[in-house]
Amino acid sequence: MKVLVTLASSHLSLEIASSLSGSHEVRLTDKNEVSTDLEIVCSDLGHGAPTNELVRGMNAIVHSGEIDPAASVSDQLDYQMRCTYNLLWSAAEEGVQRFIYLSSLRLMDGYDPDLAVTERWKPLPTTDVSVLCYHLGEMICREFARENKISVVILRLGDIASEKVAKTAISTSTLYMDDAALAIEKALGADHSGWLDIYHIQSVVPNARYLTGQPWWSADDVSPSFNLGYEPRARS
Amino acid sequence: MNVLILGANGELGPHVVRALEHRHQLRLTDINDLETQHEYFRADAADLDQVVAAAEGMDVIINLSVLRKDRRLAFDVNARGCYNMMTAAVEHGIRRVVNTGPFYVVAGPTYERFDHMIGPDVPHQPGTYLYALTKSLGQEICRVFTESHDIHVMDLLFYMLLDPETHNVESGSPIANVGHDLVPYTISWRDAAEAIRCALYVEMDKLPSRSEVFFVFPDLPHQKFSSEKARRLLGWEPKDQLDQFWKKAKL
Repeated sequence: MKVLVTLASSHLSLEIASSLSGSHEVRLTDKNEVSTDLEIVCSDLGHGAPTNELVRGMNAIVHSGEIDPAASVSDQLDYQMRCTYNLLWSAAEEGVQRFIYLSSLRLMDGYDPDLAVTERWKPLPTTDVSVLCYHLGEMICREFARENKISVVILRLGDIASEKVAKTAISTSTLYMDDAALAIEKALGADHSGWLDIYHIQSVVPNARYLTGQPWWSADDVSPSFNLGYEPRARS
Repeated sequence: MNVLILGANGELGPHVVRALEHRHQLRLTDINDLETQHEYFRADAADLDQVVAAAEGMDVIINLSVLRKDRRLAFDVNARGCYNMMTAAVEHGIRRVVNTGPFYVVAGPTYERFDHMIGPDVPHQPGTYLYALTKSLGQEICRVFTESHDIHVMDLLFYMLLDPETHNVESGSPIANVGHDLVPYTISWRDAAEAIRCALYVEMDKLPSRSEVFFVFPDLPHQKFSSEKARRLLGWEPKDQLDQFWKKAKL
């Protein structure tokens, strides 16, 4: 499968791309040059032919909703709204089959940790731009899925952490990089509902805050249930 | 009240100015130059610093800024402009904001093509049309701000605006022709401006929430959309029923 991964300058995107490159043909993109052994194409994800050329021939796109903390608030909002829209539009025009949007479980942090929050619960974005951007990015993805322009999977990822982080420093919604890579690999191949599929993704940690791996089903008794098939690695 | 109008030099701006100028102190802004007797700032709604500066000392912000076609500008003005406006409201303690947009901020083609009696409180389905989606993102940004700040945003949604005195059958308009029906979401310029004036007087604590959306148009017979909420909560009554369009012309 040919997979485009955006925001190559982020640690998460580079790690994901590296992991996927073992079984897929991976192309990275970023607005700036990034040092990597993988193929990389510089793009500002603008409105026009270069973005279409960037996505042409791809089977899937993994688009990160992370923001560049060094960028201005205006640039952060611009990237997550306009560039996401441009990318989706070009992907739909070029017939890319699947769009995987990497969102964040921080959208659900407003709920009491004791609640069994799943993908069915309403997101609670805040005015913190790093959270708001995920919400706005999801909104744009949702409308493309609603119009059946492209198949969209939203993965709300936990707090990305390294295995080297001390156990006392991890949060209850930690997501280790190998589990993140596993979830994205699953999202590339999972059966799709035909609408918009949203999954919460975190690792097995003490007092894990979010439920993962539960099947979705429709109340119509006709549509089959569907599941990402994500099972985080057991850790001692 | 001290009222800031963003995008005051658009099509709706002069009508709103006329509706407010005798009772309020107006500060007008636009990205284009504007000849006016009122205080005027040249400001770009997409520029955070300019919007924050323009809002100093204001009691109300009315956002009439809009861009429809250019993809970059549409996101800059329709979506990020709302972030800038709400940041300015927070910065200056402004508690009343009137935002505007088209009805398909809420009811895009997945509603409009299929349903009737569509109200403004249904879950938003703007679709991917640039103007609709960018305005919907802007409205959502406003709503998120109201969740954590004591600011009330009234989002007044219009669509087709016309002057019933001059808009006639000879216009050849596909939107509204005398005796040949009209888009079932049409309003006169003066009624639209009056709805915005009403929003300045609403007792905010009596609104159901700090973020309320209103469909604003007269009592059209199509029953495609419902503007009942605007009458009930804004206390707005349209003067122009536009019946010369939706009644057949007498032979």
